[in-house]
Amino acid sequence: MSDIQTAAQPAPPSQGRSLLQHLIKGERPYMLYVAFLIMLVVFSLASPWFLSIDNFLNIGRQTALVSIIAVGMTFVIIARQIDLSVASTLALSGMAASLAMSFVFNNWAFGALAGLATGALIGLINGLLTTRLEIPSFLVTLGSLSAARGLALMVTNTKPVIITNEYYFKIFGEGSVLGVPAPILWTLTVTVGGILLLHYSVYGRRIYAAGGNPTAALYSGVHIRQVTTLAFVITGTLAGLASLILSARSHAARPDVVQGMELDVIASVILGGCSLFGGRGFVLGTLLGSLIIGTLNNGLVLLGVSSSLQLVIKGAIIVAAVAFTRR
Amino acid sequence: MTEPGSTSPLPAAPLLRVEGVRKRFGGVIALRGVDLSVLPGEVHALLGENGAGKSTLIKILSGVQGHDGGLIEIDGKPASFSSPAQSREAGVAVVYQDLSLVESLSVADNLLLGREPRNRFGFLRKRQLLAQAQAFLHAQNIALDARAMVGSLPFAYRQMTEICKALMGDVRLLILDEPTSALTDDEERILFDAIRKAAARGVGVIYVTHRLNEVFRISNRVTVFRDGQNAGTFVTADTNMRQLVGAIVGPDHAVLKAPVTEAGDVAPSHQPRETVLRLAGVSNDRLDRADLELRAGEIHGLAGLIGSGRTEILQTIFGLRPVVTGEASLDGKSLVGVDPATAIARGIALVPEDRQVQGLVLEHSIERNLTLPRLPHFSRMGWLERRPAAEQADKAMQRLRVRAPNAATAVKNLSGGNQQKVVFGKWNQPVPRVLLLDEPTVGVDVGAREEIYGVIRAAAAAGSGVLMVSSDLPELVQLCDRVSIVVDGHIVKTIARVEIGSAEDLHHLIQLSQSFEEHAA
Repeated sequence: MSDIQTAAQPAPPSQGRSLLQHLIKGERPYMLYVAFLIMLVVFSLASPWFLSIDNFLNIGRQTALVSIIAVGMTFVIIARQIDLSVASTLALSGMAASLAMSFVFNNWAFGALAGLATGALIGLINGLLTTRLEIPSFLVTLGSLSAARGLALMVTNTKPVIITNEYYFKIFGEGSVLGVPAPILWTLTVTVGGILLLHYSVYGRRIYAAGGNPTAALYSGVHIRQVTTLAFVITGTLAGLASLILSARSHAARPDVVQGMELDVIASVILGGCSLFGGRGFVLGTLLGSLIIGTLNNGLVLLGVSSSLQLVIKGAIIVAAVAFTRR
Repeated sequence: MTEPGSTSPLPAAPLLRVEGVRKRFGGVIALRGVDLSVLPGEVHALLGENGAGKSTLIKILSGVQGHDGGLIEIDGKPASFSSPAQSREAGVAVVYQDLSLVESLSVADNLLLGREPRNRFGFLRKRQLLAQAQAFLHAQNIALDARAMVGSLPFAYRQMTEICKALMGDVRLLILDEPTSALTDDEERILFDAIRKAAARGVGVIYVTHRLNEVFRISNRVTVFRDGQNAGTFVTADTNMRQLVGAIVGPDHAVLKAPVTEAGDVAPSHQPRETVLRLAGVSNDRLDRADLELRAGEIHGLAGLIGSGRTEILQTIFGLRPVVTGEASLDGKSLVGVDPATAIARGIALVPEDRQVQGLVLEHSIERNLTLPRLPHFSRMGWLERRPAAEQADKAMQRLRVRAPNAATAVKNLSGGNQQKVVFGKWNQPVPRVLLLDEPTVGVDVGAREEIYGVIRAAAAAGSGVLMVSSDLPELVQLCDRVSIVVDGHIVKTIARVEIGSAEDLHHLIQLSQSFEEHAA
């Protein structure tokens, strides 16, 4: 008896037909765009340095790590799961990449492969423990958050590992094409890949169904375990990619980097319109979410707000934004 | 069965008076001014198609929504509820279709939720709580174990718990929203007993249903809504099926020209064809040496009590339950060890019992739901081909006459009948080899029900073997070429259409089989 709902809610706008519509669909995400624009205007008026190409490239570089991992997290959250281990995965993957180049074979591709494979492996373990042993992913990844960080600290007894491969620096950190720095190019590549996979592939449809209603998905022949595990593998691999970018920028891998970054990643995804209850969300929203958080960080620094107060403001704005954009 | 009204004479002053109540949602008018009066001790049936305004009125009476105009009186005093708590305070209790029980608590805990007996330190008096609940169930003559976890109960018993919960407080007006969906005849009888007892105490009952024969068994009067307006109020004893259907669908509807739900006028029986599906001695945790043979083009019913293993037979064929011993085969090839994905690939389709939980992703669009089981058909190398998928969805919507603005409409915004059509649409193209149906018309209104029967007949005519579970015996009699009777996971008897006779006969046969098996055990 859903005649009320039929009457009460006008039919939603046509969903999922063109790229442009992905921008507009979701749970009132235009609120988010408006908020973003207001923020840009406020910062531009408040700081003379804010509105410049250099500063925007700067924001893009700073948010690259979060943006890239958040694309993977979008898949995980749409599948009604969560991955808390991404920052630790990043740290361990970075150690794997740098150690592989230092001690085995100083070739950028070899190092990259080691980093990506490490991230993928942690994702696979997260996914298998979640789907096969049916442990909630919150607990599984809370465990791997700790374990992966511990391993990263153990391998070198907490010491950083220096990287000397010039190609590696260029490809993942310092190179640029037409003035666009490598981290931003990687962000764009991952975003486009994520959009294709989520909105234009069979896998994308299945992950929406697996998260939207796992029982109905099972009854429709979706292999929920495989689909969900793959989401964790994608996220782990992207954490691996982020580790390459970070270590290439600092010419070294450190085991204690980006602690607590999972919060920014998850906040980006939720801010971007994903439902924590699964089944809803889109990649461009996530990118926008991470840009908002990045711009906020950047703008507050330019305005000279103390770093402690920055944390408070950021937290308040995230909760307020989610409260507004949520269904 | 005695005439319900004859047991207690009806006083004249209405308990509930609704006059000219209006309600609109944005641009859509849900109620255009409806009237309804319920006398104390009366069971008043409320009929109408989905969208006629029944639910809207119930939500207004229960305080979930306000109304835009008109008069509501309880015991002669104007009433307007701004919250469910206020409505409850005034003695209005509603049993919704979607159950509102806490599954992790016992029946007793649920019955007394929020009114638990406490000692003076505020701690729960568990023994007294259990005793109170048991005393109530005993007084109502309801066979429920007060200690049972609600989550572990079969659907029908949860529904009874829900109704008991509504009856526990100081209730003047009891509103039941399709309480008998998915109840067997015996359970229905117990439920009706409970309703009559409540009415005999002077409680007024509003009884919303899609099943017309119930109206004649339980109600004193009937009110029909159509398009947010009154389409007539009848004294049950003075009306008939045809008059009610006419009021529900309107004077010019095609349903009226075809005879309504009676045995005898059936689709021509199909020529017997080759066997598509065979179960030989299939056993698992719920099945006990089940034997079954399903032919192409046949509509084969599975009858039995709730919990008899009917649903589990379908689930086992579909790969949701393992075949532990015995042999299951499709077109001569074994089905042992398949999972749902493989079963689908081999041409088996399942329309599950609970469309909202098992059949649909409610938040998603019609198109997404329709294409989900057949995604490989709409893709190349794992990439979706959106246009063919969208075209297929549009076609399926037209063919099944799904009433929705377009294929992008979220399924949760559709009425029950239209949702069920979408579940059917998931399996419509290509035609499945075996179509498994579990209670295909539960919660579906009269018009949509006939359309769904048409879809089922069309599938059989196109060569599918249809295996259909239903608690609605007239439906089985009307549709099926053969009916198998299931008792405790075992198929005790398979009978051909000509031997079935009426729904009544089928009912006796089920009872007989059940008691015979129980004696044998």
